[in-house]
Amino acid sequence: MRRFVVTIDETEFEVEVMGVARAEGWIEVQVNGEPMRVLLPWSATADQSGWAMVNNRPHEIQLDHDLHWIQTPHGRHSVQIRDRDTATARPRSGDGRIKAPIPGLIARILVEPGQHVEVGQPVLVLEAMKMQNEITAPRSGTISMLNIQPGQSVKLHELLIEIS
Amino acid sequence: MFKRVLIANRGEIAVRMVRACRDMGLAAIAVYEPGDEGALHVRLADEAYPITSPLGYRDPEAMLAVARVSKVDAVHPGYGLISEHPGFAQACEAAGIAVVGPGSTVLANVRDKVGAVAHARAAGIPTTRPSSRSFMPDETAALLNEADLIGYPLVVKACAGGRGRGTSVARGPDDLLDVVRRSSTAAQAVYLDPQVYLEEAVLPSRYIEVPILGDHHGNLIHLGERDGSIQRNTRKVIEETPAPNLSQAQREAIWATALQVARLFSCRSACTIEFVLDGEGRHFFTEVKPRLQVEHLVSEMVTRIDVVREQLRIAAGLPLEFTQEEVHLRGHAIFCRINAEDPWHGYLPSPGHITSFRVPGGPNVRVDTYVYAGAEVPVRYDSLLAKLVAWGPTREECLNRVQRALQEFQITGIQTNLALLRLILNDNAFIAGTYTTEFSRRRLMEMPPLSDDTSDLAAIAALAYLRRTQAAQPAIPEAFTSGWHRDSRRLPQ
Repeated sequence: MRRFVVTIDETEFEVEVMGVARAEGWIEVQVNGEPMRVLLPWSATADQSGWAMVNNRPHEIQLDHDLHWIQTPHGRHSVQIRDRDTATARPRSGDGRIKAPIPGLIARILVEPGQHVEVGQPVLVLEAMKMQNEITAPRSGTISMLNIQPGQSVKLHELLIEIS
Repeated sequence: MFKRVLIANRGEIAVRMVRACRDMGLAAIAVYEPGDEGALHVRLADEAYPITSPLGYRDPEAMLAVARVSKVDAVHPGYGLISEHPGFAQACEAAGIAVVGPGSTVLANVRDKVGAVAHARAAGIPTTRPSSRSFMPDETAALLNEADLIGYPLVVKACAGGRGRGTSVARGPDDLLDVVRRSSTAAQAVYLDPQVYLEEAVLPSRYIEVPILGDHHGNLIHLGERDGSIQRNTRKVIEETPAPNLSQAQREAIWATALQVARLFSCRSACTIEFVLDGEGRHFFTEVKPRLQVEHLVSEMVTRIDVVREQLRIAAGLPLEFTQEEVHLRGHAIFCRINAEDPWHGYLPSPGHITSFRVPGGPNVRVDTYVYAGAEVPVRYDSLLAKLVAWGPTREECLNRVQRALQEFQITGIQTNLALLRLILNDNAFIAGTYTTEFSRRRLMEMPPLSDDTSDLAAIAALAYLRRTQAAQPAIPEAFTSGWHRDSRRLPQ
């Protein structure tokens, strides 16, 4: 049996998974002590989108690949998962490396090397799909690396800025 | 009637125009930039020609060259790109090729928005108060002076393009230059024109627009009014017709003014006359859109008129086949714009490979799109993926239908604004029809959606997590593996 504390939006749920989470068929779980049966095709978790059935309730879902959110046709919920057995909370923010989330053109750079930035602070503007997109700092820290110029084209996942 | 029509555009609107040509038995000739040759509008066309100029679809001379080579008798430029380029229309006219649109004279007259408003005002039409001229973004002193004359808050607008992109509100001198810079860079990126002008803000306001059709025989009709007040990330995302909470007298007054403006500018083909409504429901003319609009299908749903067909007939010199009295505005229609973007991540565009694409169906639902399962959403074009419109005999039934259609619509492989659209349509201000342009300041995405059973989601999330950790367990101890093996067991991206 595996035990988790799952926080959806602001609400915590104790989830126990009985036996092995098999790839096919119904899986027995308990949420806050209440038994439930879940049908979750393997493809839904591999492709990050698909469907699930909980008891007699169908759900269409889309999962963030870091499992930080789950989306339904009604909107997006934040997710946090704590594994009771290993007792480690997964960090919510990544490391300080900012990579290009889409290919595009560096329109403006809003920070300098050595500058202190706060989490969420805009650091550069990336132009793509005819839009100016503000890229923000994933964490607080100091700009330790900046190897881009305004006007430069960048490829998908190219390392732009590092915060340490 | 024409025999061959050049579709001088791409994306969903090019597909829409190819369909109109096919429905009328005309040959549709497509153009494509390098890399866009596999696009749906090309695949569905009768013939397709490359456009190799560095400006691509935006190059009027290269487009005219294609028109000549392909021996078409008409060009339909759609919206955006070269649709409002007076020089292009004029060159086509000189070459004896019909341009589907209001013609180069109208394009030139309404292009100068400041001048157009002044012209309408002189004719006694109620208008907003724009600045005396347009500005380059670096004319800071002149901009600040002009802004003081108009007073804050005021609206900064791009001279080119529509009401969404490049339009934002400056609430005081402190943010004026910043707003100007942002509007100007957006306008430069989209329309290749950095000029802006200022306009007295009407807040809270509603954006009301009236599509019109005019032929070359003096016939001019309107297709009812639409409300386009709902914006997100400075773009119109939802439109509906009729506009909610207007009295019949108000509607008729707006229609009458729209026809007056259209006559003043000799509008022909499909044009849209745009207004703002103030808090007391008074309407003020702002600009003429001299082209087919993105949202034209919402009017098609309530009038059952094929606007692109009418445009082609008008361009061929045929008279309108119906009078104003024969245009019946039936029921209610709501339009949604589905973009490849992530609203929860600063509206970051989301290009890429569409792995699955499930289109809503059922009665009175229409989807116009250029994508399909397996299609690529290119990074170098606009993020507009698909347009959805639903019709109902009443606003209430229409709302239910558009909600269920959005729930049926499923696009995977990229991020879209589908869930955001549902949040907007579920908002009390939208349901009551009392929204204004201030709706864009409403915080919708920070609030978790209420209609989901969160304990079910907790169970799903825990199982998904367990599956992924199990998938990531190496079968062979790390010490015995080579480097490639370490990379190969990464989680699926």
